[in-house]
Formats: sequence, structure tokens, C-alpha cells
Amino acid sequence: MAELKISPFRRTRILASQIDEMLDIVSQAALAFRHAIGHYIRSGWDETAEVKYRQLDEFESRGDKLRSTIGQTLYTEMLLPDTSGDVLGLLSSLDRLLDDMEHCLEVVRIERPEIPPEYHDGWLECATMAAEAVEQVVAAARSYFRDPRAARDYVHKIHYYEKETQRTALQIIEQLFQSDLGLDRKLQLRGHVWLIDRLADKADDAGDALAIYAVKRSV
Amino acid sequence: MDLTFIIFLSSGLLLGWSLGANDAANVFGTAVGSRMLRFHVAAVVCAVFVVLGAVVSGAGASHGLGRLGEINALGGSFTVALAAAVTVYSMTKLGLPVSTTQAVVGGIVGWNLFSHTATDPAVLTKIMGTWIAAPILGGLFAVVLYRVTEYFIRVVKPHALWLDQWTRIGFLVAGALGAYSLGANNIANVVGVFVPASDLESISIGAVTLTGQQRLFLLGGLAVAAGVFFSRRVMMTVGKNIVTVGPVGGWVVVVAHSLVLFVFSSELLQTSLMRLGLPRIPLIPVSSSQAVVGAVCGLAIAHGWRGARQIRWSVLRNIALGWLATPAIAALISYVALYFVQNVFQQPVYQPVIASLGM
Repeated sequence: MAELKISPFRRTRILASQIDEMLDIVSQAALAFRHAIGHYIRSGWDETAEVKYRQLDEFESRGDKLRSTIGQTLYTEMLLPDTSGDVLGLLSSLDRLLDDMEHCLEVVRIERPEIPPEYHDGWLECATMAAEAVEQVVAAARSYFRDPRAARDYVHKIHYYEKETQRTALQIIEQLFQSDLGLDRKLQLRGHVWLIDRLADKADDAGDALAIYAVKRSV
Repeated sequence: MDLTFIIFLSSGLLLGWSLGANDAANVFGTAVGSRMLRFHVAAVVCAVFVVLGAVVSGAGASHGLGRLGEINALGGSFTVALAAAVTVYSMTKLGLPVSTTQAVVGGIVGWNLFSHTATDPAVLTKIMGTWIAAPILGGLFAVVLYRVTEYFIRVVKPHALWLDQWTRIGFLVAGALGAYSLGANNIANVVGVFVPASDLESISIGAVTLTGQQRLFLLGGLAVAAGVFFSRRVMMTVGKNIVTVGPVGGWVVVVAHSLVLFVFSSELLQTSLMRLGLPRIPLIPVSSSQAVVGAVCGLAIAHGWRGARQIRWSVLRNIALGWLATPAIAALISYVALYFVQNVFQQPVYQPVIASLGM
């Protein structure tokens, strides 16, 4: 089948909209993640939580597809020759964030951990901070494409939210192991907290990489 | 056009070929080296506009070079062009930076010395002045262009992909202008020495009439265009020697370089400046390599202390030494070769000029 040739302007427009879509997806996934965890803490795993999980699953699949399409177009069309590696690295980081959010909810869906009420606030705060770190990565990534100098304004916020997530996570784990819960529940709950903390860590790694990519683009 | 003329012209065409193979990299090197343009696209645009520039606007700079030494025998023209070609080829082989313009100027001075023709110090000073002015002007243009471009990008904040697209279009437009200016300005190096000795007549092809001089420039332009298709290796390395240049920076360098060549070859600009009562810019061939080196340094300096620190000064020193050595070597080769052509091959290399008093 003959390859359909499109004009460079149309190709650029399509690619720019695909990158924007990828960023929108990660941002929406962060919102869905936050809502799903909050809902689970309040009402357990019901239809609403299931809907949020399916949403995240779709976001993750779409993200995979977009990352691969954008990467292929960048390389085959020799676009952004000096920064295509960075853009692909950034998209991979975003895709990993989608994976981690989906994985986090998937484990909750399978294990349905019982979270004692005294941990509800801390747990929700931990998930909110991690989701906020992800949203700041999205903001920094948007800035990278249009105004790389401004990207560092978001990177320090990512660091802040990562630290907050870690602080809250450690607090919960400490309290867990000082409680009268059985060791099996302590370990199970610790595993879930660690998954949320790992999400913030990944966001932090993406922020560090973005800071370097932004400097390279500003030069 | 007789066979003798074509044989004598061959050295000029060889020089044109080597100019195309070397100097096309100054026009499209940063675009191809940074993978913003494919080599064959760059080569075709460069070849077409070099020929156009040579035929349409080549006369101005050619007159300027003629004032340095009117070589009045075909044998002399052949030898001077050959001496310049040998100098350019040998220095390129040795990995030394070389300017075709300087090689030709050296060759003409060698002919002046051999034929006992006085070299006009005013003209020589003017030409040598451009060897300092061209890189400085290239640097100044680069600083101003970089500042304007940087401001534009900061205000408009285009998406990286759109910036990439605009830069590609910018490279094509600037490269076409650069190739046109290269043809207009540097054709004098290639066949300028043949102008006084040439007896080509005007011809008409349809509605287009080419003067004898334009026919000569067309031949030279085609030789340069042919050389362009052999410049891939040089294009892939240019711009990376002194400092590493990104796509937008590369575009700034190409535009600055093109403007320098344009300034020294545009009769229209010269007339406009004269009308405004501003000082005249001499129309003489300038080195596109010098213009590019100046522009790359200007770009680095525009980045402030951090950029200036990135300049590889040892490379720059070698380039400057090459600029000093080229005319001297070319003059020496020209002088020795003229001696051989005249005394061994029994070919006249100059015709004695009998001074006459105007009545």
C-alpha cells in the first residue's frame, strides 16, 4: 500500500496535538487516581471505584499507543533532531507515571486492603500529594515545549510534593508498626503506601530529567 | 568558444568545483550537520541559487577583483586559477582551513610580481581590509540576529515542533539567499581572472540574452554547482569545530554569513548607500569561510561569558594562521608556475602594456 504523504504543516499540527493529548491524559489520570483512592477510603471498592480504575486502564493503554506513535514520527521524519531523544525520554517518564498509577489502583482492586479510620486522612493526603507531583510534572512538560526557561518553576514544586508524599508515607508506616494490627496487615498496608510513595519518586525523577532537558533547550 | 579557451578555462572550473565542494558547507553545513535538512535537498537548492547568483549578480565583485590585476593573457589566467586551486586543494588535504578568495588574491599578486605590473596598494588594502571586516561583520550580524530571534521566541513562545518547522523553512530561505550571494560574490574567484582575456560573445536563448561575461559566469557557476554535490562530508562537520551550534543558532549563522556576502556583492545596496550619502561598501569577493567563522564566534559571544568560554581558541588560532599563510603560499605557487608555463611550455602569461598618454 502506498504511504500517504501529508504536508509538513499538517504533520506538525497532528504531532503537536498528540503530545498535548498525552499530557492531558496524564493530568486526567492523576485526577482519576486521586478520586479513586479518596472514594475507596470513604466507601470501599464499589462501582464508582471500578469506573475510575477502568478509566485509568484506558488512559494507560492510550498513553502507550501515543508514546509509540510520537516516537516513530519523530525519528522517521527526523523532527526535533537535537532534542528528539529528550522528548522521547520525557514521554517514557510520563508513560511510566501512568503505569504506576494504574498499578497502584490495580493492587487495591485485587487486595481490597482494610484501611483503619485513623489512617484515612494521612492516606488521602499521601495520595493527593503524589497526584499533585504528577500534575506538576505535566505542567513542567507543557512548559518544556513552549517556554523551557519557565520549566524550573514547576520542577521545584515537584520536589516539594515528592518530599511531602515521602513524609506522610513514613508517618503512616511508623504509626502502622506502632499499632496493634497484625503483622500481615501491617506489611500489606505498608506495601500500598510504598506504591503511592514510589509514584511520587517517579514524578521526582521525571522532574530532574525535565530540568536538564529544559536547560538543553534554552541554550 | 574555441578549444584553447576551454583548455585554459579548465583550471578555473577546477577551482570552481573545489569552491563548491568546500564553501557550500558554509551555506548549508549547519542545516545538514544538525539534520534539519537532507543533504540532497540542500545540494539542489544550493546549486540552483549559486548559478543564478553568478549569472545575474556576479559582475560587481568581479570588477573589484579585476582592479587588483587585469590578467591579459589566457595562459596567465589559467596559471593563476591553477595556483589558487592547488593551494586550496593542498591546504584542505593537510586539514588546514583555507579561503578561496585569499588564494585567488595571492595568485593575482604573484602574477603582478611576475609580469612587473604594479599592485595598486589602495585596492590591495581594501581587499585585505575585508579579511578583517568580513568576520567582524559576520560576528556583529550574528549577535544582532541572535538577540532578535531569542526575543521573538521568548515573546511568541512557539511549540518546539513549530519552532522546528519554522527553522527548517528558515534554513531553506536563508540557504537560498546564501547560495545566491555566494554565487554573486565568489564567481569572481572562479572565473574573474579570465574576464579580461575572454572573447566570448553575447548569445540569446529565447527571450534571455547572456553577455559574454555572463556566459563565462554561467560556466563557472555550473562548476561550483557540480562541486556542491561533493560537499556532504564537509557539511556534516562544519559548525562543530569552533563551538557546537544548535538548529536555531545554525540558522543565525547562515543568515549572518549570507548577509556579509550580500553586502559585498550587491550593486543595488551600493547605489542606495551612495544616494543616501553613506560610505560605499567595496564590491569585492570576500571569504565565505571567514564570514562563517566570524558569525559562529559572534553567536558564541551573544551567549555571554558561558558561550565565549565554549569557543575552542586553538582551532580559531589555526584558522587565523591559515588565513595568513594562504595568500602567501598562493602567490609563491603562482609566481613559480608562471615561470614554468612561460619558459617550459612556451605560453604567453601576460602581454606587456604600453603606457599611453591621453590627449
